[in-house]
Formats: sequence, structure tokens, C-alpha cells
Amino acid sequence: MNDLASELFFAGIDIGSTMSKAVITDANNVMRSYVVGPTGAEHRRRANRVMEEALGKAGITLDKIAYIISTGYGRVNVPFADKQVTELTCHARGVASLFPDVRTAIDIGGQDAKVLRIKNGRLVDFLTNDKCAAGTGRFLEVAAETLGLELNEMGRISLQTDTPVKINSLCTIFAQQEIISRLSEGQPLPDILAGVYIAIATRVVKLARQLRVETPVVFTGGVAKNPGMVKAMESVLGVPVLIPQEPLITGALGAAILAREQAFQLIQRGEYDTHREKMLSEAYIEYGEGSG
Amino acid sequence: MSGYYLGFDIGSVGSKAVIINDSGMVASSVIPSGTNYATTSAAVKAAALQSAGLQESDITATAATGIGGRNAGADSYHGVIICDARGVNLTFPTARSIIDIGGQGSQLITMDEAGQIINFNISEICATGSARLLQVVARILQTGMDEIGPLSLKATKPSNFSTSCTVFLETEVITRISQGDKPEDILAGIHRSIADKISGMARGVTLQEDIVVIGGGALDSGLVQSIEEKLGMKMLVPDNPRLMAALGAAVIARETKT
Repeated sequence: MNDLASELFFAGIDIGSTMSKAVITDANNVMRSYVVGPTGAEHRRRANRVMEEALGKAGITLDKIAYIISTGYGRVNVPFADKQVTELTCHARGVASLFPDVRTAIDIGGQDAKVLRIKNGRLVDFLTNDKCAAGTGRFLEVAAETLGLELNEMGRISLQTDTPVKINSLCTIFAQQEIISRLSEGQPLPDILAGVYIAIATRVVKLARQLRVETPVVFTGGVAKNPGMVKAMESVLGVPVLIPQEPLITGALGAAILAREQAFQLIQRGEYDTHREKMLSEAYIEYGEGSG
Repeated sequence: MSGYYLGFDIGSVGSKAVIINDSGMVASSVIPSGTNYATTSAAVKAAALQSAGLQESDITATAATGIGGRNAGADSYHGVIICDARGVNLTFPTARSIIDIGGQGSQLITMDEAGQIINFNISEICATGSARLLQVVARILQTGMDEIGPLSLKATKPSNFSTSCTVFLETEVITRISQGDKPEDILAGIHRSIADKISGMARGVTLQEDIVVIGGGALDSGLVQSIEEKLGMKMLVPDNPRLMAALGAAVIARETKT
């Protein structure tokens, strides 16, 4: 590694449907900072903000960032990114950097779920669900709303029981009604909550089994932060799952790792521009007429 | 003196009771189902009896169907498919297919000239194939359920939706409103989403005319038109499409006694 390369930093920005994440790494692939914030309606502003915050936390300026890769469903709305890469590729790289032996990665996000088969750190196969809210974080949000609970307290309460109620509905809308019926029947809240987690886990594991589940299994995404969900996942899968310290940022981390590779390739070919101008532009998404 | 027969259909959204005699329908009632099916059944029965000017002792036999039908205290319980077929056969003897769009799911049924079932396909796993999606969207648009149909028929460019999940559609409808889509165009787009689901179900059964649309969804003229366009077939709608299963139950009660 030459002097130029050792002083450079790299960034990955993952704009998900619910949360936006930024990760800054250095020349040794060591994470210098990360930021997680809600996505909201204005992706571009959010991309700027998480990037600014990540720079602030790392104590570096934008001109020190050699290469930026954006990923996630809002990746086209990161105007300062050098390249866009699909979340599946980034996610696989991020997970494999934390768990080099990983064979199966299960990610449950705010509005989707993905199952990745990974071998030698590379993505070999995947399946996703973004068509149906059941089996995504959205199902949990609907359940929390129905019960008037916070997402994190739901997890804690569900751990109080080992006898989950069976939720039969495969559809989030019908499950919502079923939750109300179970409550009115007098079923204990922890049992209902545990049943909600089992219902999501069952949906996602069904997707995973189409690919064949090999261990070790890594579980990521915002939903992996929920202890009730983790317990349900292990119980339905029948094997323990590994969870990163910060399960939301694996996609952004993978993007930063890929950004470092890209930058090093440019440097090697002598194509890296050390004087390029970079700025965070606060562009808004322009909607059609009537956006007000 | 001919006897009277009462059919219950205790559905997820509405509960219905129909009283018939040997010559046809005498009275009916519809109330919201609520959470206690036994209480609801008693109430919907009382309302139908009152409307017919009858006493409970005038009823020779009863039969029930619907998700809460087992709580109705009827003489017998029957599946909704068979009740749909009996009710529609009585109303439209030429009917060979039924599309029942209810609050909790949809049924496609084919039958012969005697009203005997040939084939059927049930969808109750996804809210998008049911009238439930209409309720969700009507709430967002602050439109009455009975206004949806006429309003949607004024659509000039139906909204396109990228998802077929009711939960995600809820969000997308709000996005479309913020982008300035008109309520009628949004409704027409939603009708297409439901029609797509129904036409997917129709792959499993061979629909033949006459086709009768029943259930709460049949009250929505825009939805019926959308299904007609999607399937390329003409649909018939009874005057009281929500009552067909209860009517069929009453017919079955009458069959058991004659």
C-alpha cells in the first residue's frame, strides 16, 4: 500500500425503505464511524445528513473520502455517490466481513426480507420478498400499532412466555384482526406477541428453505435487534443465529468495503483523481404536479 | 299453511339473516358482525323476524354459514360455497359461475344447471383479493363504501400501483394522493389490483356464463366493471348480493324439511 492509499477513507451509504445508514472505513477496512437514521420522505436530504454525521463522528472531511458507494432501495437518490451497487452484493460482503464462515444470511428489513446463500464470502444465490408485508418488519409495526406498544417493549414482553399463540392468518391485514380476536378471548399478551414473532419467522424461514439453509446463519436487519424475533427465528430454524453488534449496517459496511476495492483499483491503474471536487448537495426529489 | 325457513350468514364484516317460504324470500336483515357471533346471530334473527312479522315459533328450520355461523344456534351448519351456489341458483337459474368477494376472502365457484358445484377456488390468505382492501382505501379517501363504485367510474387515468399487498398499497395510496392523483383514479387503480387477484384465481377454474358477482364487493359497480374488463366476460349482480349465502342457507334448511 502506498502513502496515498493509506491516508484515504471510504464510505458506504445504504438508503433503506425505513432506515438510512452510513459507514466510513479506512485503508485497513477498519470501521471509523457509522450512523443510522430514519429515511423519511426525502431520501436525498437524508443521504446528506447521515453522511455528514458519519464524517463528524469519524472526525474527517469529505475530501478525505476516496470513494463512495450507495446501496439500498433509495441508492439512486445519493447524488454524491461514485457508484451504485445492489444491496444484495453489499449485504453479502458486509456480513462476510464480520462472519467469514457465513453460509446463510437472513435480513428482515422494514418492508422486505432477503435470504442470501454465501460461500467464501461471495453471494451465490438469493431470494427476496418485497411483495407481501407478512414476513417483513412492517408486520411488526402493524402489530405494535394494533396493541399500542413500542417495538422494543414488544420484544421484551414476548420473552416472558414459552407458549406462543398460533396466528393462522398469512396476511398482515387479517392477522391484525386475529390479534384483536385473541386479545378479546383473553389470551395473555406475551403469548400473542410471541405468536406474532413466530408468524414472521415462519414466513421468512419458508423463503429460506427454498434455498436450503446451511450454518452458520447470520441474522441482520432492523428486526434482528428484537430479542423476541431472534428467539422465534432460532426456534423455527432449529439452529442458533449469529447477530452482528449493529445488525442494521451490514449493507452500508459492505458498500464501504467495495468502495475501498474500487478506489484501490483506480489508484493501481493511475486513474485516481486526488483533486476531484466533492460536496454534499441538498437536492430535493421533485414530484409531479400537486406536490405542494 | 306453508312453513318458514331461516338462513344465517355470519361473516367477518356483516351478519345476514334471510327468511323464505315455499315461494321465495319473505324478509331479510343485515347488521355488523361485531365480536360476539352468538349475540349478533340472535340480533340479526330478531330483526329478520320483525321485518317478516313472524315469531320464532313460525320458523320450521334454520341453517347457518359464514365464519361465525357455528355460533348461530342453527339446526345445521354448511360451508359458504354450497350456500352461495344454492342462493345464486334460486336467484339466477341460468348462472354457471359465481364470484363471491367478501370481507375476509373471495370464492370462485362453477356449478351445473341444478346448482351442483363442479369446481371452486377459495382465496382467504391475502386481503388484496377481498373487499377488505376497498374498506382500507375508502377510509384513507374518506369515501363511503357506497360511493366508491360511482366515483371510480369517473376515472380518466387509473393510478398504477407497484405492489399488490394491501399493507403496502395503503402507503402507496397516500403517496399517490400527495402526487396529486384524483380519488377516482386511485379507486380505479385499486379495482384493477383486486381484479388482477381475482383473475389469478380464475386460472384454477373455468368460468362460464352466466357469471354472478356476489358478496360485499359486488355492491361496488366500479369493481364489477373492472373484473368484467379483466376477464372479458359479462357479470350479473343480484339486487342484494350480500344476502346470497344466507338465502342459500335458508334454501338448504327448506330442503331438509321437504
